[in-house]
Amino acid sequence: MAEPFQITDEMRAQFGIDGDPWTYEVTTTSVRMYARGIGSEDPIHYDVDFAKSQGFRSIVAPLGYLGTPVYAPGSNDPTFGFPRRAGGPRLNIPFLGLLDGGTETEYFDVICAGDVLEETSHLADLKLKEGPRQMLFMTNESVYKNKATGKVVAKQRLTSIHM
Amino acid sequence: MTQAPDSVITDEMRAAIGVEGPPAVMEVEKTNCRMYARSVGHTDPIFYDEAAAKARGYRGIVAPPGFLGTPIFRPGGSGAVPGELGGRTFSVPYKRILNGGTDYEYFPDPPDGDAICAGDTITARSKISGFEEATGSLGPMLITTRETTYTNQHGKVVAKMYGTLIQY
Amino acid sequence: MGQVYFEDVNEGDEIPQLKKNCSTQQLVLWAAGSGDFYQIHYDKDFAQSTGLKGLIVHGALKNAFLGQLLHDWVGEQGQIRRFGCSYRGMDEPKQDILCRGVVKKKYSDGGKHYVELDVWTEKPDGKKTSPGTAIVTLPGKN
Repeated sequence: MAEPFQITDEMRAQFGIDGDPWTYEVTTTSVRMYARGIGSEDPIHYDVDFAKSQGFRSIVAPLGYLGTPVYAPGSNDPTFGFPRRAGGPRLNIPFLGLLDGGTETEYFDVICAGDVLEETSHLADLKLKEGPRQMLFMTNESVYKNKATGKVVAKQRLTSIHM
Repeated sequence: MTQAPDSVITDEMRAAIGVEGPPAVMEVEKTNCRMYARSVGHTDPIFYDEAAAKARGYRGIVAPPGFLGTPIFRPGGSGAVPGELGGRTFSVPYKRILNGGTDYEYFPDPPDGDAICAGDTITARSKISGFEEATGSLGPMLITTRETTYTNQHGKVVAKMYGTLIQY
Repeated sequence: MGQVYFEDVNEGDEIPQLKKNCSTQQLVLWAAGSGDFYQIHYDKDFAQSTGLKGLIVHGALKNAFLGQLLHDWVGEQGQIRRFGCSYRGMDEPKQDILCRGVVKKKYSDGGKHYVELDVWTEKPDGKKTSPGTAIVTLPGKN
């Protein structure tokens, strides 16, 4: 292997630069699939009539689900679904290992089926942990706006570990 | 020479032939059309991109061949598998189940038919067409043939599915 | 590929082949796309506990591959009217699955031009695993 990885000023200069926005869609089928995936039985995530009777626009997205990015072959990562978009950080990461380091989500409104969100994200932080094996902690911050109202509905900080 | 096994077809099963089961509602949306197309490996943008679909004269993103929508899932339900393996099965002494094959027939021509697009709600109604027994490489088996009719929110029959289920 | 027209098709013609090779990841994607989460397609221990040698490709996915074979051939102006197959042989992930079709019959009726085909998937050794049929309509050149 070549020299150990280092975080450079050039990489740090990319912090805070938003890539192009991407559309994330919240549909009844995707809300139910997410809820089913976590094993929830709460009808608020499945039954539209019930959700409306509780005062919601439609079934409620379970916590953690912020819509599905619009997908087209070539436009998204085929494994993770992440949009490949113009703008945003360009990093050359030499590590093959990848783990999810954790997610924090802050909500400003309820997200329901039928919502169409616009997401913009930027690189927020890079931290390198030295040791027998180097570990790069990369944090991205995303802001989700409801396209119809223009209001921010959620913010998310995602950390991935490259090693 | 082994004796042929006793028939597992009961009177209850015979009485079910031709009887339509309860309707199942399936939703066709952008996210599930794309997911289906992606999993098959389709490249035609009409299965992914609304603008591309509309430019080709469709109402919205098109359901790929074989995709009739996602049944509305309710937790705590029977756990029945949607689509080709769905439908009523009877209690028979065969523990294993195989999908024997499926045919899809489409009726895309207006005014009586239409294409299937994101935004459509499809109601599926199935009936058993017949039972057959056979013995083959898997041993004795029960073959059930089913027909499902798919009607959209405007009352148009947009597709039919003919399926074969093998229990052995 | 440009639009294919009814006049250009002859009985006995083979349509362009479609080669697939399913990764285990694709089988998981298909589970998500189809809603069929039967474990014989992604959980090897489970598959073997049912008597299978290992993971197998969903029959319905092979049917969908034949759908893609036909969709890509009929072009923007053609329509698939009917297609399907029987799941006779099992296919595994990480092995080539070749989707093929041959024109059996062509005829015009009620102002539409019909083409009937035999379609199937086959293994690298040529064994047909999912034999089926299809009916499509194609545009005429006028």
